[in-house]
Amino acid sequence: MIRKINPIPRWVLSVLLTSLLLTGCGSSSPKQETIAVSGAFALYPLMTQWADAYQKNNPGVRIDVTAGGAGKGVSDTLAGAVDIGMVSRELSPEELNQGAFPIAVARDAVFGTLNAANPYLDQILQKGFNPQILAGIYITGEITTWGEVLGMPEITDQIRVFTRSDSAGAAEMWALYIAGKKQSDLLGIGVNSDPGILEAVIRDSLAIGYNNLNYVFDAETQKPVSGVVIMPLDLNGNGFIDPDEIFTDKSAARQAVADGRYPSPPARDLYIITKGNPSGSVRDFIHWILNEGQAYVEPNGYIPLNPDRIQEMRARLDDQP
Amino acid sequence: MNTAAGWAKRPESRTGVRKQRNRIARRLFSISAGFIFLVLFAIVTMLVQRSLPLWQKVSLPDFLTGRVWKPDQGLFGLLPFILGTFWTTGLGIAFALPLSLFSAIYLAEYARPLTRTVIKPVLDILAGIPSVIYGMWGVLVVVPVVQTTVAPLFSRAFPGIGLFQSSNPTGFSILSAGIVLAIMIAPILIAIMYEILLAVPVGLREASMAVGASRWQTIRYVVLPKATSGLIATLILGTSRALGETMAVLMVVGNVAALPRSLFDPAYPIPALIANNYGEMMSIPLYDSALMAAALFLLLIVLSFNILSSLALRRMLQ
Repeated sequence: MIRKINPIPRWVLSVLLTSLLLTGCGSSSPKQETIAVSGAFALYPLMTQWADAYQKNNPGVRIDVTAGGAGKGVSDTLAGAVDIGMVSRELSPEELNQGAFPIAVARDAVFGTLNAANPYLDQILQKGFNPQILAGIYITGEITTWGEVLGMPEITDQIRVFTRSDSAGAAEMWALYIAGKKQSDLLGIGVNSDPGILEAVIRDSLAIGYNNLNYVFDAETQKPVSGVVIMPLDLNGNGFIDPDEIFTDKSAARQAVADGRYPSPPARDLYIITKGNPSGSVRDFIHWILNEGQAYVEPNGYIPLNPDRIQEMRARLDDQP
Repeated sequence: MNTAAGWAKRPESRTGVRKQRNRIARRLFSISAGFIFLVLFAIVTMLVQRSLPLWQKVSLPDFLTGRVWKPDQGLFGLLPFILGTFWTTGLGIAFALPLSLFSAIYLAEYARPLTRTVIKPVLDILAGIPSVIYGMWGVLVVVPVVQTTVAPLFSRAFPGIGLFQSSNPTGFSILSAGIVLAIMIAPILIAIMYEILLAVPVGLREASMAVGASRWQTIRYVVLPKATSGLIATLILGTSRALGETMAVLMVVGNVAALPRSLFDPAYPIPALIANNYGEMMSIPLYDSALMAAALFLLLIVLSFNILSSLALRRMLQ
């Protein structure tokens, strides 16, 4: 027997369809603004905290944050794809000429990384690294074995050198610190993203790399991520590593950056940039960051700017139409 | 009203309605096709326009054969990236082709209906997995295996051949990229090749077996020759896909801008160059033009590849 299907009347379908389309409009409040943020991995954790806190107090504003490296932050901002760029390095004259308007918001640093299972870890922790050795590894390529690093020619194990493949503020700072050079001068296997290079170092016992403060230290334990050791740098140049030059704890590392004992670079100001002077809700957000937002800097593991620097930034923000 | 003037605008006869609908449908479909051409034209135009500033500083031969890529010093040599693209794509196809062809032959000729029903959805799922997932799998699984097992093995087994030597294996290499690419394009290749093999008429197979040929002889001498043009078209499709695959490759290939000398050396294909350095584009003069020129080069390679192959196919089908 052929069953006759009762067709749904056309008017019912049109009502259903229209109501479905309208539900999309109903959910967002009439005056919602979206601020798009992208850029450096270094600033990403703090920016997400700021975004959450700001959105709680300002329900009419939505803030979208993505990470992709400092270079991407600059490109996106100058191209108009995002409103705010996160940049973990100084801006170049070329970028400033194209309208980049930087505001420093916090400080952190780049740390060298070693694998915790490195067979020569004990000797390394005694002798340490300095910019000359790092330049030999990362810039000229003259130093290729762990033996050459430690001055023990009988060791022939090769150094597995890792760097960042994406345009990164961390890489620029590292190159600047070791030889006054740029990211493109760094040798080594290029790995994408900050977590990526950390992962590469963790999985190779002979590896070296570099990471941002908040990625190399575990947020919960406040110690270096399991499998990683912070590269000891001979900061005072006396030829061996003093106890205060070994960072096994995030607070010790932060203290060294805040004191100025950790050199700058690779410690640096973290900037947010806009194309031209900010206005409207973007400007309100940045204003909030420079005032109430500063309370979030330390609890999230960053180093706050000096009070005069913050004043300078506030003036820079206010100093325009 | 059925006046002569109003007849074209208000067709009341059924023939008129059909003709009008025919016209509307044809116009709609041709607009869609035209839109695609428009998009391609727009992309090529943008690339050409944005890359123009580069040609004032760097000549085309220098760009294509230069070995040094140092944008902040104004050196734009694309050769390492061209070679990187060539090696990774070539290796990916070399791995994927036999794998896909043999799997497709098995599915089309030998497999039970139950096997086919099970494998088809699996292939669809594999084809739908996002590129970055393959990249992660590559980093977590392929790279360590290449570093600890494959590289030392080949270095010891073939001491004379430079292609297999590795001085400092990290696993991030052309080989890892080739493996990941092969796994990525295989599901699509298998699915399409399978359809092509199925399209060979059953009658041909039956006739072949009727004269006494075995299953294998039928495949080798009847089915495959008939399907060759379709299989080559599929191969071209796979190569085009592999040439442009960005995310998964850049996670495992090492991203070192040097001429690769061994399968275990890192390399830097053109899509990875663009994706990694998109961030530096605005910051260094001429960098954006150089990247656009590299993108244009890749696009032209893919286009000419497709054109050449369709010419070859046409010749073969005659």
